[in-house]
Amino acid sequence: MTIGRDQVLHAARLAEIAVDEHELDALVTQMARIVAYVEQLDEVADDAGVAPYAGGPAEVRLRDDVVRPAALAHPVSDMAPEFRQGFFLVPLRGTMEDEA
Amino acid sequence: MSDWETVIGLEVHMQLRTRSKMFCACSTAFGDPPNTNVCPVCLGLPGALPVPNAAAIRLGAQAALALGCTLHHESVFARKNYFYPDLPKGYQISQFDRPLATDGTVHFDSAERGRVAVTIQRLHLEEDAGKSLHDRVPGRTAVDLNRAGVPLAEIVSGPDLRTPAEARAWLTVLRQILLYTGASDCSMEEGSLRVDANLSIRRTGDAALGTKTEIKNMNSFANVERALEAERTRQIGLVESGKQVRQVTLLFDAASGAVRPTRSKEESHDYRYFPDPDLPPLRLTTEWEQQQRTALPELPEARRRRFADVLGLAPYHAGVVSSDRPLADYFEAVVAAGADPRAAANWVAGDVMTGYNADGAFAVEPARLAALIGLERDGVVSLQAARRVFAELAAADADPRAVAERLGLVQVRNADALSAWVDEVIAAHPAETARYRGGETKLIGFFVGRVMKLSGGKADPKGVQPVLKERLG
Amino acid sequence: MSAGAVAQETGAALARSDADGLNATLYWSQEWLDAQAGVIDRRASAGETLPLAAIPVALKDNIVTTDAPTTCASRILEGFVASYESTASARLRSAGALIACKSNLDEFAMGSSTEHSAFGRVRHPLDPERVPGGSSGGSAALVAAGVVPAALGSETGGSVRQPASFCGVVGVKPTYGRVSRYGLVAFGSSLDCVSVFGRTVSDASRVLEVISGPDPLDATSLDMDPVRPAAGRRDLAGVRIGLPREYFPPDLDAGIRAGLDRTIAAVRALGAEIVDVSLPHTRYAVPTYYIIAPAEASANLARFDGVRYGQRRVGPEGDIRSLYRATRGAGFGPEVRRRVLVGTYVLSAGYYDAYYRKAQRVRGLIAADFAAVFGTGVDLLLTPTTPTTAFRAGEKTADPVSMYLADIFVSAVNLAGLPALSLPVGRSEGLPVGAQLIAPSRRDELMLEVAAVIERTVPAAEDVR
Repeated sequence: MTIGRDQVLHAARLAEIAVDEHELDALVTQMARIVAYVEQLDEVADDAGVAPYAGGPAEVRLRDDVVRPAALAHPVSDMAPEFRQGFFLVPLRGTMEDEA
Repeated sequence: MSDWETVIGLEVHMQLRTRSKMFCACSTAFGDPPNTNVCPVCLGLPGALPVPNAAAIRLGAQAALALGCTLHHESVFARKNYFYPDLPKGYQISQFDRPLATDGTVHFDSAERGRVAVTIQRLHLEEDAGKSLHDRVPGRTAVDLNRAGVPLAEIVSGPDLRTPAEARAWLTVLRQILLYTGASDCSMEEGSLRVDANLSIRRTGDAALGTKTEIKNMNSFANVERALEAERTRQIGLVESGKQVRQVTLLFDAASGAVRPTRSKEESHDYRYFPDPDLPPLRLTTEWEQQQRTALPELPEARRRRFADVLGLAPYHAGVVSSDRPLADYFEAVVAAGADPRAAANWVAGDVMTGYNADGAFAVEPARLAALIGLERDGVVSLQAARRVFAELAAADADPRAVAERLGLVQVRNADALSAWVDEVIAAHPAETARYRGGETKLIGFFVGRVMKLSGGKADPKGVQPVLKERLG
Repeated sequence: MSAGAVAQETGAALARSDADGLNATLYWSQEWLDAQAGVIDRRASAGETLPLAAIPVALKDNIVTTDAPTTCASRILEGFVASYESTASARLRSAGALIACKSNLDEFAMGSSTEHSAFGRVRHPLDPERVPGGSSGGSAALVAAGVVPAALGSETGGSVRQPASFCGVVGVKPTYGRVSRYGLVAFGSSLDCVSVFGRTVSDASRVLEVISGPDPLDATSLDMDPVRPAAGRRDLAGVRIGLPREYFPPDLDAGIRAGLDRTIAAVRALGAEIVDVSLPHTRYAVPTYYIIAPAEASANLARFDGVRYGQRRVGPEGDIRSLYRATRGAGFGPEVRRRVLVGTYVLSAGYYDAYYRKAQRVRGLIAADFAAVFGTGVDLLLTPTTPTTAFRAGEKTADPVSMYLADIFVSAVNLAGLPALSLPVGRSEGLPVGAQLIAPSRRDELMLEVAAVIERTVPAAEDVR
């Protein structure tokens, strides 16, 4: 499977990363190289039925349903690029996709 | 319209009744100032990690069992990846191909088809996103992350509904079951229950499903029905004029009753699901599942049947009294305190429910109501008087008989007193007496009325009639 | 020595290393050091037992603290200060350690040379034209340069062992889950391990003991006691050490080969039994890693969107999408962008089975290879850590895959979640050579005990040829 311009642009759209036209060719070449490299896994033929490996505990540990308010060392307003009236702010345009 | 069959499926998101969020210990309390119930985890700060809430899993499992689902003893949390300002991590922790539960059934009574089984394809656990407010700050979207991370269960039905009215009826039954389990408050007004609908059409007799559309933004079951009506009409109109139905997402506009496409160009989302590496698999034991089954209350349908079959209630009353679990519990407490079930059902479906719907509470102790019902059955008070006593008891707890006496509502059944009134009325109405004796027996009602008036309403009407008949001959 | 005095000395050493152009630090200040020292001295006077009293420890700048910025060497987090403390640094501080600085790294821990930092590369302490390795190059260089005796780094695909080998220090990766990841900025969540650099095995062990142990805030942390190796092992009698043939290719660099030969001879002389073993799927470790790690990273880095924290830019369209795209386009460096895009691609519709699911199965085979070998009674594996000594800056940046190949001997360990370490075993043409020990899952203590014995016997900085 070769990865070309269209796939790279599609991935950039999904990942919300701007790619300038002048960088695109080099990026496509590099990504094609990487994808061709990782595709050598196609050679592995003895993986049928292998359970995917996962480290850590065999089952998830749960938490009791107790409220413990976080003691934030700095208020959220300190870290926010744009914050007013208690809200994080972003441009309005383009956010109303799923609301009336 | 009869050429066309409508196929409807529903997706319900319900907020699980926990104190803390799904993956962190922040409060789920509603209505707090924006961005005050937040922490590194639900803010999506770098380096923060999720830890699941045991109560959310328990409530989700109980809901799943109540819906007849198979509970999976191993399920997996997965990341659903997309960008939106109120989705702090840029992904939602949900479940994908290994959900908590699948393969349930919820029956309901369809006006057109009788009793219908609707499949529950799956119930899975996930976290909610925050809230985006578009009209708080001009030119800006304001994001509040208090809701981000609140525990949800998503319930997906099979495409088993055939009319908008069926969708509404089924939702009512589903909601009732879920309320019985206590897993959620199930309030569309408060946002603890949300419904999305899928609708497609096909020619009657076709096996293949048509292209389905998704409809969102309905804030009541009535609006679900309206939205589905509008969409069915739209799709039929499209196809009948030679066009095709495209797979789009639509928003319901309550003001106009219409559905319209979302503004975004519909690039169907590629969520790139994969198992969340921060969360090992959720494993449940057979013992634990059994504990959850045991903890479930008797569910609405079973309870309604028992009220009808064992306690002898009429179908209407059995339905009303079992419609709400606290109401049903109250009813059974009144019966347990000695009241006749059918009489108790009348009261619970009437004055008790009126008060409960208004205040959310039961103003009269079950034992008091049982005693009052006994008084009415024994003829000590008339039904009308009993209702007045009930109203007093609702205001202040007291012994029912004492209240009846204080209000002068105790009926007189004493034979001497009744005879005295009867004699007086007969003496006062010689013409009617003669007519009655002459064969106009329907005048008995007139005489009963006169006796009731003379007694100031205190005579027990049931006792008056026989005395009258005896005296009139 | 009082903590105050240590703070002064450490500040002077940091200033010197900055002046020398090491570029290993991203943040430190004398005031910060002095303030911490004051607290430590007060606690010590009050009679508190502090296992790491006033030991200066550098922190890789992808581990969050509340009193210093955490940038992950990325423009997108320039100036960001976390509002919570990582478990690792909290445990260090609780034990009385002095956090010396935040150290430089490849951006978001993605790299093998620290050349991908947005704030300039780190110089190898012995040769400024060379790289210290990566991604934890800053921490490795600071320990190697004698600025601090210990440092925290993180591993996803060898990012502590490889720079430890290049710089001639000890680098220890614990079993996945023995050190909490809470507060480690996630790159590849199923692979990430907070790990430790030390001048000696003992230094690294002391720090590892303090930071390890279960954490209710990390659902992937193991329910195991802190790592605590026993002292007193005198030799390696009764220890069976395997040499996996895939890690000793015929064209292995001569200097590396010599260093390993010397180590093997020493180990044999100490009474260990040496056996040849095979890990047949070794050559698939790096390609497997470069599917799984970028895939997980593509999701882990989605939170860097300019909405709640970090730097923000908005494109000319002025809408939310242009906020995301401009912020992330400008904020991520080229290596990070490549990996996020590759990760997005391998998870996307139509490709998930062919890449991600396949890679997870091959990962299972790799883990099974190790389990099979350890199951035959082999206690530990001994291998080279890196295929070469430290390479020159710029040598591998043109072709991303050539950089990936620096990790051929270290990646399989991360995929299998095993404990492993690198030990300096000599110099080749003046550059450090590292030997790697790999232990079965959860046998961190055995690995450290054996490493301590080897360390006593094999001179760390002697010419191997």
